[in-house]
Parts: sequence; structure tokens; C-alpha cells
Amino acid sequence: MSTPTDSVELVGDEVTGNVARAVLFAAATSATAPVDMVHPLAPNVPITLQTLWVYLAGVVLGPVWAGVAFVLYLLAGLLGLPVFAGGNAGLGVLLGPTGGFLFGFPLAAMTVGAIAHGTGGLTAPDAVSIPRLVVALLAGTAVVYAAGAAGYSLVQAIGPVAAVSAVVLPFLPVAGLKVAATVAIVRSDALIAR
Amino acid sequence: MTITVADVTYRYNGDGTDADAATAALNGVSLTVDDGDVLVLAGPNGSGKTTLVRLCNGLLTPDAGEVRVNGTPVDDAPVAARSSVGMVFQDPRDGFVAATVGADVAFGPENLGLAHDEIDRRVDDALAAVRMDGRATDRIDELSGGERERVAIAGALAMDPDHLVLDEPFTGLDWDARRSVLNRLDHLRHRGVSVVIVTHDLRDLAVLADRTVALADGRVALDVADPSPEALTDLGVRPP
Amino acid sequence: MIGYVEGETLVHRLDPRTKLFVQAALAVAAFAHTTPRGLLVLSTAVLGICRLSATPVARSLRSYRAFLPFLLAGPLIEGATLGAPWFVPADAATPALASYRVLLLLLVSTAYLRTTRVRESRAAIQRLLPGRAGVVLGAGVGFVLRFLPLLRHDLATIRAAMDARLGSERSLYERVRLIGVTGLRRVLARADRFALALQARCFAWNPTLPRLDPTWRDAPAVAAGVALLVWAVG
Repeated sequence: MSTPTDSVELVGDEVTGNVARAVLFAAATSATAPVDMVHPLAPNVPITLQTLWVYLAGVVLGPVWAGVAFVLYLLAGLLGLPVFAGGNAGLGVLLGPTGGFLFGFPLAAMTVGAIAHGTGGLTAPDAVSIPRLVVALLAGTAVVYAAGAAGYSLVQAIGPVAAVSAVVLPFLPVAGLKVAATVAIVRSDALIAR
Repeated sequence: MTITVADVTYRYNGDGTDADAATAALNGVSLTVDDGDVLVLAGPNGSGKTTLVRLCNGLLTPDAGEVRVNGTPVDDAPVAARSSVGMVFQDPRDGFVAATVGADVAFGPENLGLAHDEIDRRVDDALAAVRMDGRATDRIDELSGGERERVAIAGALAMDPDHLVLDEPFTGLDWDARRSVLNRLDHLRHRGVSVVIVTHDLRDLAVLADRTVALADGRVALDVADPSPEALTDLGVRPP
Repeated sequence: MIGYVEGETLVHRLDPRTKLFVQAALAVAAFAHTTPRGLLVLSTAVLGICRLSATPVARSLRSYRAFLPFLLAGPLIEGATLGAPWFVPADAATPALASYRVLLLLLVSTAYLRTTRVRESRAAIQRLLPGRAGVVLGAGVGFVLRFLPLLRHDLATIRAAMDARLGSERSLYERVRLIGVTGLRRVLARADRFALALQARCFAWNPTLPRLDPTWRDAPAVAAGVALLVWAVG
């Protein structure tokens, strides 16, 4: 053994676990980006499941690490990983018309986490009461769409009403559906024994 | 250079992190692995094999007893223990940290804070030891199962370990891939690295193994140089 | 999809930190000077960058055509009126300039992505961000790069399995729920195994950082970035 090991500062077990989960959530969000589903009622509105992971990250990881997960996601996209919708990447996309949604992801994930878990440390995800969960998810949804509309308005230099009607209203029905699905997922056996 | 496990007991739910079904309980287990030993650790699922090897480099902490690596208790020097006991996990796909072979193998030495020249040298050596030299820029996703296993071994070797522990290294490998991994393990033991192979399937390991240890229900049920087929079958292990 | 293209251009050989800085400076300047004259100056700069980095302008822009509806919607919505004359070009001017600004920034970032490997960008982040944030985010980007294809594969198999079991007849809600349940289970299982591997490989706060070697070539690029920032603020 020739390796000096005294100076190595190991990352603690708990932080390592959180880093691993944040990475996997960021990667899952990215992997979801290129696969779009089609809404039966509005075939021209693409449905990406990215916000599903935003919600789940908040509930499962709590505010801090859910925030880290989506900062990581934005950074990966900035540096060229094809993680944004349509397999896109780069600063131009972050500062483009849909960039507001992207910046909304970490904010929303933190909002969901903060409301679901409160300030007294993490609660087991399946122990968060349904009303509290629903409030957390609706608040997260509001943050994503507010950020999306604000970004669109800023980037395109148009008024807030026009921005909301262009990038929020068409997506709202599906947003409700994703909130409902998230509640069901959190209450499913996917989270048992964790 | 030895791993010494002395009267170790490990229970579920010690600290909440061990709800993993892979880590079964252990009851007063003692075991020594010497320099250059090739030890096969056998036993049916749930017998505690995985728990035992994770105790050897401090990934788990025993509830009672002590684990020493090269004479030092694991808890006193986790970095030394983890770099001295290289670990290759079952199905290494989730254990790679980079998209390409060379970058992945470099991860351990980078964490040890080594100089760039030394890191490069270790990556080259480790890849050569598993016959993956010249493949540093290959994408890990495009490797075959056997190549992946060998790169995972190289990742552990790059930390310059005295001991190498492989958890079910042959799962999902075809015959040729299995032979190529075995061949590389034989090569390593001649370099003085002791090798612990965790498996529930002993086929063609007899030639390589100096000793076979079998666990059953969290205890050492067998620790011999040449196990009889009957004894192994009784313990629920497929004999060679 | 835009990604790294092997090459030997001047921009390829710049330090990734320099390129990130120039990109950021250009974005700040573009937001500060969204005027015909400002955008003209920036267009020259952007076309110069594309030239130096061998970035094909028309082909790159075509790859972003998904943004076209958003870019057109802005000027159309603002310019439209409910009665005659139906469209006021003057009202549409500002949003149109904004749309043009988006195109410029997309081109610059394309030039960055085509000339910079993710590995180099990662090294830049690890050196630019201080302390533990740099370790988590720098290493994290590398880890995401590793897991992206695995999770793509996971999600594809989940969808295929779902389609095989009369999935296309299930309601949208049921499909989203199923993808979430199965996907979350895989994500958490992979995360557990990955965390264990990180621990076994001594994941540390003070690793050896990747090599980056800025050269004299970076000096003019940094100077150009500073000039853009000064112009943006002044």
C-alpha cells in the first residue's frame, strides 16, 4: 500500500446517498425530456413528464436536495447534455422562450419539498397527509407556470396577459392530471421500505 | 496484509440504512483472509455473504465484534480500508461514475488526491491488468457483459488494493466472459492481491480457490480447502 | 441534436472557462442592447464566433425549429388588434427584436456546445464553483452524463411494456401514474446501488481536479468578453 490516505476527506454516507438520488432524479428528468406523450383532447400540446419528476423530487428528497437535483439538471443542460425538452441543450435554450419553465424547476421542487416536509426535518414521503401533499403540489405547479410565464414575457418582451395565454392556459388541464398522478405514485408501493 | 473478521455480529435496523434485503444478519462470524489467498465465499441467498463483504471495507458497521484491514480497525481508517479492499459489486452497471472507460477507472485515484501522472499510470496499469488496454475512450454502455465486469475490476485495482472482493461477478456472463474474468483473477493473485469471490455457484472455481467458506443463516458453516460436493449441496450451494 | 463536433478550430482550443465567460457576457449585452443597432453589433460578433468555430448558421438554426411557434407568437400577439387595422407593426417591433435576440443566443450556445466536450465543461465548473458546491455539481454533471442512457433505456422499456399490455387503451392518467411508479422504483434502486459504489470508491470532498491549461490564446477572448460587459453596463 503506497497510497497516502490521511488527507482524503470522505463525503459522508448521508450526503453521498443524497448526491446519488439527486443525480438519478436529474437524469430521470432528462431521460423523460425527449419522450413526449400526446394529449387526446389537444394533440398539438406536447406532454412531457418532466414536472412529474419535479414533484416527486420535492416529496422524496425534501427541499434542499430536490433543489440540488434541479440545479444539477440545469447545469447539465447548460454544459451540453441533451436534457431539455426535445433533446436540446445550451445557454440559448435556458435564455430562450421556454427558459422560464426550466428555471422554475428547482424553485418548484424546493417549494413542494418545503411545504410537504415543513421545517422540522424530513417526513417519510408516504406519511405526508393527502391535503398537505395536494397543497404542496399545487403550489409547485403555480411556481413552475408563474416562472414559465414570467420567463416568456421577459424573453419575448410581451405583456403578462399575453404570456399567460400563450404558455400557461393550454397546459393547465394536463398539469392537474400530473398532480393527481403524483399523489397516487407517492402513495404506491414504490416508496415502501425507504 | 490481511483482513481479519473477529466474532462479528450484525443485525437489521441498526441505523435505518440497512433495510436493503441484500444485507442479511450475521451471528458471531470470524474469518481471516491472507496475502494472495483466493477465497470463495459461498452460501444461499440471504445467508449473509453480502453483509460480510460490506463489513470488510466499512460500508456497514458491525453491531459487535471487529473488522481489521492490515491490522487497523476499519472504523479508525475508512479511507485506508476502502482503498485497500477493492470492491466490485454485483451487476456493476450502477457502479460506474463516468460515461467512458478511462474516466471511470480514474475516479478512485482522483478521490485519493493523487497527481495527474500517477493517476494516468494507475489507469493504464489497471486496464492492462484486465486486458482492456487501449480501450480508455470506449463508452461503457457499449461494452459486453464480460468487458464491463473487467472494467469494474480495473476501477477497484486503480486504487492499488491489497484485496479484491467480487460480489457475484459471474451473474449474467456467458462462458467465455466468465473464463476471461477468472483468468484475470488468477493473474491478480500472482501479483499478491488476495481475492474474495462471493458466489452461490461454484462451477469451475475449484482450480482457483485456496479455500471455500460457506455461510448459512449468518454463521460460518464450512471453512476448508477442498469442500466435498455433499457438504456443499447440504448447504444449498451448487458444487463445482 | 447539438453536440460536440471533433475539430481543431481556434474556439475548440480555448479554455472552457473563457468560452463560458464570453457566452455569458454576450447574453448580458444582448439583453442590455435589444435595439436594432445593438443587435446589429451583436450579430457581427455572433457571426464571427460561428465563423471561428466552424458552426453552420442555417443548419444550426433549423435544429431549433421547435421554438419557432413561440418566437412568432410574441410579435403576432402584441401586434394584433381587435379591429382595423388588425395589425400594428410598431407594436410588434419590440417582441420581434426579442425573438431575434433569442436566435443570436441559440447560435452562440451552439458554437459553445460544438467546440467543448462535456468533460471539459465539467472541469470548468469544478474549478469555477468554490468548495463543496463545486464538488457536488461538477462531479454530479459527470454522473448525470453516465446515467442518462441507462434511464432512457429504463423509460423506454417501461413504455414498451405498458404498450404491450393494452397500454394504448389506458387513460392518460393511468399511463402517467404507471410510468411514475415504475420509474421511481428504478430510480431509487439505482440510487442506492450507486451510493454504495461511490462510498466504496472513496468519493471525496478534495479530489484531484481535472486538468485545464489556459494559453495565451485565451487572452483576446477574455478581453472581448470584458468589452461586451463594459458595453452592456455603460
